[in-house]
Amino acid sequence: MDLILQLLFTGIGIGAVYALVALGFVLIFRATNVVNFAQGEFSMVAAFLMVVFAVDLQWPYWLSFLLAIGGMAVLGALFNLGVYYPLRHRTYLPVIISTIGASIFLANTTLALYGPQPQVLPPVFETQGFLVGPVFLDTQYLLIIAVTAVLVAFQYWFFEHTLIGKKLQATSQDKEMAALLGIPVAGMIMLTFVYSAVLGGIAGILVAPVLFVSIQMGATIALKAFAATIIGGFGDVTGAIIGGLALGIIETFGAAYVSVPYKDAFAFIVLVAFLAFRPQGIFGERIAEKA
Amino acid sequence: MRTTRRVFLKSAATVAATGLVAPSIIRPVSAQAGGTIRIGMVLPVTGPGADAGRFALNGAKIALEAVNKAGGVLGKPMELVTEDDQTTNPGAVLAFSKLASQPDLVAFLGSIRSTQNHAMAPDILKTGKPVAFGGTDPVLTQLGNPWLFRFRPNDSFSARVIAEYGVSTLAKKKWAIIHSTDAFGTSGAKALTEALGKAGATVALDQGYTNQSQDFTPVVLAIRQSGADVIGSYFTFENDLGIFARQLRQLGVQAPWVGSASIVNVTALKLAGPSLYNTYGVADYAEESSDAARNFGKAYRAVMKLAPDNQSSWTFDAVTVLAKAINAAGKTDPKAIREALLAVRGHEGAEGTYNFDQNGDGLHGYNVVRNDKGNIVFDKRIDFYKA
Repeated sequence: MDLILQLLFTGIGIGAVYALVALGFVLIFRATNVVNFAQGEFSMVAAFLMVVFAVDLQWPYWLSFLLAIGGMAVLGALFNLGVYYPLRHRTYLPVIISTIGASIFLANTTLALYGPQPQVLPPVFETQGFLVGPVFLDTQYLLIIAVTAVLVAFQYWFFEHTLIGKKLQATSQDKEMAALLGIPVAGMIMLTFVYSAVLGGIAGILVAPVLFVSIQMGATIALKAFAATIIGGFGDVTGAIIGGLALGIIETFGAAYVSVPYKDAFAFIVLVAFLAFRPQGIFGERIAEKA
Repeated sequence: MRTTRRVFLKSAATVAATGLVAPSIIRPVSAQAGGTIRIGMVLPVTGPGADAGRFALNGAKIALEAVNKAGGVLGKPMELVTEDDQTTNPGAVLAFSKLASQPDLVAFLGSIRSTQNHAMAPDILKTGKPVAFGGTDPVLTQLGNPWLFRFRPNDSFSARVIAEYGVSTLAKKKWAIIHSTDAFGTSGAKALTEALGKAGATVALDQGYTNQSQDFTPVVLAIRQSGADVIGSYFTFENDLGIFARQLRQLGVQAPWVGSASIVNVTALKLAGPSLYNTYGVADYAEESSDAARNFGKAYRAVMKLAPDNQSSWTFDAVTVLAKAINAAGKTDPKAIREALLAVRGHEGAEGTYNFDQNGDGLHGYNVVRNDKGNIVFDKRIDFYKA
C-alpha cells in the first residue's frame, strides 16, 4: 500500500506538469485549429530565463519569476507575429511545420546564447519535502499540483465568466462570424498565444528544480503533453488535465509493475490506442485527421 | 499569397540554417591543407551530450596547443577539424563521413559514447585510418576493427574495480545494479554482474532505465524493496544521474553507492550536489592520481578556470599520443601510425599509463575516488596491466 501511495503521488506530480503544458496545446488548438509543437520550448526558455535572473544575476525569486513570465508574454506575441500570423490563411499543415521550425530555432538559439551546460534552479521552498506516514511528499510536486489546480480554475472562470473569455471562445468556434460581430479576431489570437506561452513558461519554471534546466527539457515534456492532449481530446481543457494526470499515473505504475525501460513506451501505446479507437479523446472532438 | 509564401520560405530557410548550418559555424577556421597535420574530431555540439562535448573540445585544444608549442608534428603545426554528432548515432555517422571525405585528415577522435562508436565502426573500417575514442564498452575493441584505439579503460576493468572495492573494502555483498539501457550501460552492467559473481556477491536487482528519464521513483522503490545493501551504477548522462541521486536520498535509501565515471563528472557534481556526498566512483581521471594527472589539471584550470574531468582528459591524452605516434612513425601513412600507436609503452597520460595491447586498449586500470562534501578525493589506483 505504501508503494502504491508513493507511486500515485509521483504519478500525479509528473502528470500535473504534462497537464500544464497540455493546456497550452489546447488553448492554441482552440483558437487557431493547429498544434503548436514549440509549446515545450516555451517551458525550456522560461526555465533558462529564471536561471539568468535568479541564479546568474541573483535577483529576488519573485522578481525573476515576474520577469521570466513577462519575457514569455513577449515571446508568445512574437511567436504569433512571426510563426502563425503570416500563414494564418493557409491550411493547418504549413503552420504546424512552421511551429516545428520555431521549436528548433528556439532550442538552438538558447544553446547559442547560453551554452550547453545543464543548470540547477533552486526550488521555491527550502524544504525538499516531508513524510506523511511512509510516503514522501516532494514540496515541488505539491506546488506543481497546487498551481495546476489554480490555473485550471482560473481558466474555467476566465472562459466562462468574462467578456474576453467569451470573445476568445467565439473566435475559436468561428472566426468569420466573430469578426462580423465586431470581435477583434487577430487580437484574440494574439492573446491566446501570449497566454499559452505564459502557461508553458510557468510549467517550465515549476518543473526545473525537479528535472534541471537543459536544452532538451522542453522536447521531453512536450512529447508527453502532446500525448496527454490526444488522450483527453484536443480542444478540451478538462480532457487535457485528465489526460495529463492519467499519463503520469500510467507511466509511473507501468514502470514500477511492468518495466522501467519501457516507461516511455506506455505513453505512446496509450496514444496509438486512442488514435486508433477513440481519436476524439476522452472528452474532445475528432482530431485524428489533423494529428 | 505571394507574401505568405515568401515569409514561409524564409522561415523554412531559417530553420534549415539553424539545424544544418550551425554545426559548421563552430568549426575552427582551418589553415590551408598541406601546411598542417590535420586530425578530425567527432563531438556533440548539440543534443544532450553538448555539455560533455564542450569539455572534450577543451581537453583536445589544450593538448593541441602543447603539441604545437613543442614543435608540432613532423615539423608542421597540428590542427583539429570538428563535426557535430548531435549526440545521436545517425549524427555521429554523418559527422564521421563528412570528416572521412577529407583526404588530408590523417587520424580522428571518435566519441566518448560507446553506442556512437558502434554506429561509426563500419565506416571507420572502410576509411582505414586510426580513430581514438573514449567509449568504454569492452566489445568495441573486440570487433576485429584494427583502426579503433581506446583512450579510456574499458568497463571490464571498471566492473572489476567496482566489485572489488564494494565487496572487499566496503564489505557489501547484496547489490543493486542500475544502468542505462544503451550499449555502454548494458555492457557495463553485464561486466559488473560477472565480476560480482566471481567476488562471491549476489545481485538482488538489475535495473535498466532509458536515457533522458524524468522520474526514477519506480527504480528507487525497487532498490528499497530488493533489500540491497550497496548500489553499483552505469549512468550515461549526468542529468539522469542527478535526478536519480536526488530521488534516491529523498526516498530514504542511504546504501553506499559505487558508480562508473559519470558519478564524479563536474556536471554531475553540480547538478546533484549533496545527494552525491559520500558516494564512490571509479574514475579514469583523478587529479591526485599521478604527476601527469596533476599537470593536466593545472593546465586545464589555468585555461578554463574549471576543474577537469574525464570528458576532457581522454581527448587531451588522445591528441598527445596521436602526435607522439605520428612523429614516431615519421610519416602520415595510416598503417605506420597504427603500428606506432600499438608500440606505445609507458606513456604517462592524464588518465594513466598507456600501454596499448593488440586490441587497441591503451589503459588497463581505474582510480577509486570518494565524494567528500563535493570534493573528489583520490583513494587508490587499481591497475591490471601485465607487460
